[in-house]
Amino acid sequence: MDAYFYIILGVGLLSTVTCAVAGILKKAPNDVTILSVGAVELSLLVYLVGSIVRVIAGEQIAGEAWEFWGYLVTALMLPVAAVYWSILERTRWSNFVLAAVGVTALVMAARMNQIWY
Amino acid sequence: MTATPKTAASPRNTRNTGPGRLLIAVYAVFAISATARAGYQILTKFSEAPLAYVLSALAALVYVVATVSLARPGRTWFRVSVIAVLVELVGVIVVGALSVFDAVQFPHETVWSLFGRGYAFIPLILPVLGLVWLYRRRPSAPAA
Repeated sequence: MDAYFYIILGVGLLSTVTCAVAGILKKAPNDVTILSVGAVELSLLVYLVGSIVRVIAGEQIAGEAWEFWGYLVTALMLPVAAVYWSILERTRWSNFVLAAVGVTALVMAARMNQIWY
Repeated sequence: MTATPKTAASPRNTRNTGPGRLLIAVYAVFAISATARAGYQILTKFSEAPLAYVLSALAALVYVVATVSLARPGRTWFRVSVIAVLVELVGVIVVGALSVFDAVQFPHETVWSLFGRGYAFIPLILPVLGLVWLYRRRPSAPAA
């Protein structure tokens, strides 16, 4: 596991806990929970840029390259889709939808790390 | 689960609200991951374990149908949801049991192998929550 994974692990868990607590407190999605999901997206973008740089620098992906990029692109779409889905109906349940993003992103980042090394 | 009332379709005849939105979101994630996984398995190594990978594709289809039908209003989509979620429940139990007792025939991973252990057992919990939600939002339910 590399630094990219640990960044997403930290940001993802923080986002999940933040959103889940907000949901338990019966709050609708607000700036804090949506921005925490935005932070997950940002950390995934860092992973994307870092990975592109490493490939250009000549590093080899040990596993299937297109599987790695497939995971990364899918992961990048998740926070966007979740925020869209959650602001259509702003109830406490939408915060649980947002909470699902962080854990999903970190599971996918773990898989991406496995493919890379 | 087979209530057959005569009431007309009401605005309440939807499943895509409240906790249903979380349910649909989780189903959507499984639809995407199961489809990607089945597609990858079938395209790259289908001959290794045709049965397991056909089951993978079936699981993917079930998740896609469940996601779409849960998000739609009306009685027909309700029935489609019930069928999809029941197939999912039977699938995860049968495939889960087969993968435990007949590891020779089912050595290759699917979403439902070992009752979905590779996915934190969410595939086993999801259809149960789905049925509870469908029951509570059944078209005949008294307005609460």
